[in-house]
Amino acid sequence: MVTYKFLNVIEKCIDCGACFAICKDQNKVPHGTARVQVVTINEGRPGEKNIPVSCMHCTEPPCEAACPVKAIYKREEDGIVLMDKNKCIGCGYCGWACPFGAPQYPHGLHGDLKEWEGIMDKCTLCVQPFVPLEKEREPSPRCALFCSTKARLGGDIAAILPVYREKKAIYTSRWQERVL
Amino acid sequence: MATSTNSIGKNNGIRMSRRTFTKLTALGTAAALSGISSVSAIQDKFPLIESASASPEEPGVTLVKSTCSHCAVGCGFQGKIQKGVCIGIEPWLENPINRGSMCSKGASIAEILNSPLRLKYPMEKVNGQWKQISWTEALDKIANKMKEIKATYGPDSIFYMGSAKVSNEECYLFRKFAAFNGTNNVDHQARICHSTTVAGLANTWSYGAMTNPWNDMRHSGVILFCGENAAESHPVAMLHILEAKRRGAKFIVMDPRFTKSAAAADMYVRFRSGTDIPLIWGICNVIVNNNWHNKDFIAKRTYGFDKWWDVVKEYTPEVVEDITWVPADTIRQVAYDWAFPPRGEGYANCICWAMGATQHTVGTNNIRSFACLSLLMGYAGRPGGGTNAFRGHDNVQGSTDMCVLSHWLPAYYGLDEGSWKHWIGVWNRHAPITYEEMKAKFAEHNGKSLMHVKGITVSRWYEGVLNREFPINQPNPIKMAFVWGHSLNSISEMKRMKEAMEQVELLVGVDPHATIAASLADRPDGIIILPASTQFEEEGSVTNSARQVQWRNKLVEPLYESKPDWWIMQELAKRLGFGEHFTYTNMEDVLREINLGSNVIMMRESPERLKRQQLQCTTECSVFSCEDCQAKSGPLKGEYWGLPWPCWNDEHPGTPILYRNDIPVSEGGNEYRTRFRGPDSTPGNPLSDDGESMLGAAYGYPEGYDEKNSDGTDGPGWKFEIDADFKALIAQNICPSGAGRARFRAWNLPDPVPVHREPIESPRPDLVDKYPTYDDVADHFRVKCLYKTIQQERKNLVNDYPYILTTGRQVEHMGGGAETRSCEYLVELQPEMYAEINPTTALELGITHWDYIWVETLRGKCKVRAYVTERVNEQTIFMPYHWAGWLEGESYADRWPEGTGELAYGDSCNVITVDGYDRSTNMQETKVCLCKVYKA
Ligand code: SF4
Ligand code: SF4
Ligand code: SF4
Repeated sequence: MVTYKFLNVIEKCIDCGACFAICKDQNKVPHGTARVQVVTINEGRPGEKNIPVSCMHCTEPPCEAACPVKAIYKREEDGIVLMDKNKCIGCGYCGWACPFGAPQYPHGLHGDLKEWEGIMDKCTLCVQPFVPLEKEREPSPRCALFCSTKARLGGDIAAILPVYREKKAIYTSRWQERVL
Repeated sequence: MATSTNSIGKNNGIRMSRRTFTKLTALGTAAALSGISSVSAIQDKFPLIESASASPEEPGVTLVKSTCSHCAVGCGFQGKIQKGVCIGIEPWLENPINRGSMCSKGASIAEILNSPLRLKYPMEKVNGQWKQISWTEALDKIANKMKEIKATYGPDSIFYMGSAKVSNEECYLFRKFAAFNGTNNVDHQARICHSTTVAGLANTWSYGAMTNPWNDMRHSGVILFCGENAAESHPVAMLHILEAKRRGAKFIVMDPRFTKSAAAADMYVRFRSGTDIPLIWGICNVIVNNNWHNKDFIAKRTYGFDKWWDVVKEYTPEVVEDITWVPADTIRQVAYDWAFPPRGEGYANCICWAMGATQHTVGTNNIRSFACLSLLMGYAGRPGGGTNAFRGHDNVQGSTDMCVLSHWLPAYYGLDEGSWKHWIGVWNRHAPITYEEMKAKFAEHNGKSLMHVKGITVSRWYEGVLNREFPINQPNPIKMAFVWGHSLNSISEMKRMKEAMEQVELLVGVDPHATIAASLADRPDGIIILPASTQFEEEGSVTNSARQVQWRNKLVEPLYESKPDWWIMQELAKRLGFGEHFTYTNMEDVLREINLGSNVIMMRESPERLKRQQLQCTTECSVFSCEDCQAKSGPLKGEYWGLPWPCWNDEHPGTPILYRNDIPVSEGGNEYRTRFRGPDSTPGNPLSDDGESMLGAAYGYPEGYDEKNSDGTDGPGWKFEIDADFKALIAQNICPSGAGRARFRAWNLPDPVPVHREPIESPRPDLVDKYPTYDDVADHFRVKCLYKTIQQERKNLVNDYPYILTTGRQVEHMGGGAETRSCEYLVELQPEMYAEINPTTALELGITHWDYIWVETLRGKCKVRAYVTERVNEQTIFMPYHWAGWLEGESYADRWPEGTGELAYGDSCNVITVDGYDRSTNMQETKVCLCKVYKA
């Protein structure tokens, strides 16, 4: 059983915005909507940290529980949380339920995308672009692959966890006390 | 063209399941993080690592390898090409420099390439209206005007502003183009980004480039930043720096501003803008006073230590504290870390900088001080050590090497007769030309051929237009200017420049975008803009900051009516009567011509070798190691990625680390050149001006040796022998460029040993007389340059203009920002121009976050948003420099041709930066001036 997750070595994130931009490039997410965004805390002072935030593909997704029309579902074979945009009524419940603010409700779109106005969109692990395809793609998180410092790890938890532990362990031991 | 198709399972004929594929995706990331060992471990397990970068299952999609066009890290990526259109990008995980990583600018390449806001056809401004014209009409008009101006005013009345954003081949052709037009008034961005680095480093130890590759920083003991913010300007360099940090290196950031890089560092040192030299001398002072310096290295490989110490001994930590505002104990801490890297014994430390150090009136001295800091401990020329100048544009190292500069010919040959003859010898092979014929193209002035006189620099080209009193070397003002791939808002004194743009008879812009070359000047006619194709619509080699040369493949055919830069030059050359010298049909031939003549840097990377490397790097991840960029297996085993110059011949693996002499020359060993000699030197025995030997110890030789001819005799033949391969010399482990000494004291510079000099506009009037700037210079690259006069005039300016204004980068934008401010993704991330202001200062001035404010200096004012943040201290205001489209609060967006323009506009900080210039290179000062701030 494979389980897809993101792990972020936040000590390495430099807020370069590659994850944001490549997600847009790959999934053609329109202006004003972001599947992954970097949140900065303590900006400009010691302890400044950047955290890339997207859907975390929760083990027990509160958004799924909150959705009144069962538009959100967790894929059994790999744990990716997906949504059926045709079922979504754009009520925004999932946005309230999600602890990370991952679900987005695009508005003010133009042209072809008009029909998806207000309909929930979020990270699909690159399985589905903004305008859903009939056939799902392979899950392959571009944000993690392009991440400028490899701060963002994405993929099967069994594969990325050891990497995360290795990268994280030394950060928290050596010079950390000076920065925090 | 090297292409690879979606090839999942190609190697063993088994199509991978979805799960294996994603597992590999994750492991690809892991592989990129760790070194070669884990890459090969993964290789053993999954021989199909190649597929990790295969495109998603889209039929008909080809992946084409290419190199990012945004910064000098030189990240590789793959364009997804479908039916001739670039529909997006995929990571190139095997590329040893970036292992797939990119920053937001790189990730937006497809969007930028396909931008609907690009300039689509040649346009001319007539009667206040932009009108479309044909290429033939445009080129005829330009060529006729050139002929007319040359006939009326002479060839020096045309200014050729070149670009660091085009390939090596096009840079080289551009310099050749200017030469055939009979002028040295040719210059480009390197003047305003790292000219002081080149002058500072080259005068210390011969080459002006970054000494060690990006990946090598993984092996550093301490990584010291001084005036560099890699997290924003070179994000993927942070991949290696943070890996070094994880392994135990100490990452120290010294900067007037708490940058995003500082946030990722172990230690942050805030100092006053413009006081780099005393800060570095303070560190050196502590090291020498404690006797920690590397005496053996200093004795064997350097010159002038004692005279250097006479200057530096005055800079005690307490003196330095007063000048720099850095506590003396902090300086002692940095000095201790520099002498004893906390990572452990045996590690070398590197110092890194960019525009924060170079763009000063004392830029060259700043860089000289960094080099001395490195020499003091013997870190120069060792893995993990060196001096790493992080260059800006994707090909600015290459454009510097090709010397699109007013004082050099390609590959750092001077303007003397011997150098001209060398290059004319090379050009003569393409089409007949003699030295006399070339000389006839140039004007004479004051009894001297202007062929041998340095031209006007890009930093002050407008003075060439406006100035009526040419002190010595310019017969007539500039009447026509080419703005060929250059963002004008990165040049200071923009209001004067605007005036100049309104005065010239014809302004020609060549760029994928209309840029402010089309819009800044408020004039009804006299502007022609030509749509150049982007880097991804033509091919050629690009040299990244680490001297690694990569072949950039063409992704798609030029969009709209855009044309490659070399085609435009070719067409103009035809019309100007020297077309036979520009009859190239492909860039490979141009590179071969460059290879012939570029002996000084030994840029002998043939197109075949570059393409072979790329091909190898397509098939196996383990070929080029992420630790040192060397091929560890396969047919190219031993070769370094990008064949960093000096690359002596077709067998040489490249020299990744300059001046490293513990390995043979044939494997990338190198020495300080014996380039410096005083008046009493004889061949074979170079002496300094004060009579000391400039020969250093090398390769077990007790003494060094002077430059060699290819037959082994003493003499500078290696620089001029076009067809020699130096194999015999290198087999004997002799570096043809000699084995000299690095200079603590550079006797030919205005300051042989750098001393502190207060900026032109200093916040410390009490220090101005003690540490004054230079005397005024009557002829600085043909233009008068004021130093002391204006410093004295403005001595008490701080009373009315109390804040220090400094400028810098944003990660989302690049250079003048014409491309990035036209990209929706990047504008979404960074939509508006702002000035950073400390919360306390903001409170005092009654300013709240995101208010409109005025930032005013003696030159003018900017209306920007207030970004209230502790990144800057209470005395400092910071502004990014990528913005244009407003001038002193007024938008001039309506002056762009319809259908072009940018998505986001803002006031340009270079309207208000100071009118100070580096004493050696004419680099503009953008990092210190005084300003006042008030609510708009
Ligand atoms: S949308 Fe939020 S709640 Fe739902 S799976 Fe993603 S992170 Fe979890
Ligand atoms: S995994 Fe794909 S869809 Fe999700 S945030 Fe990353 S790039 Fe966007
Ligand atoms: S790409 Fe990586 S380093 Fe850059 S902002 Fe995203 S997570 Fe951070």
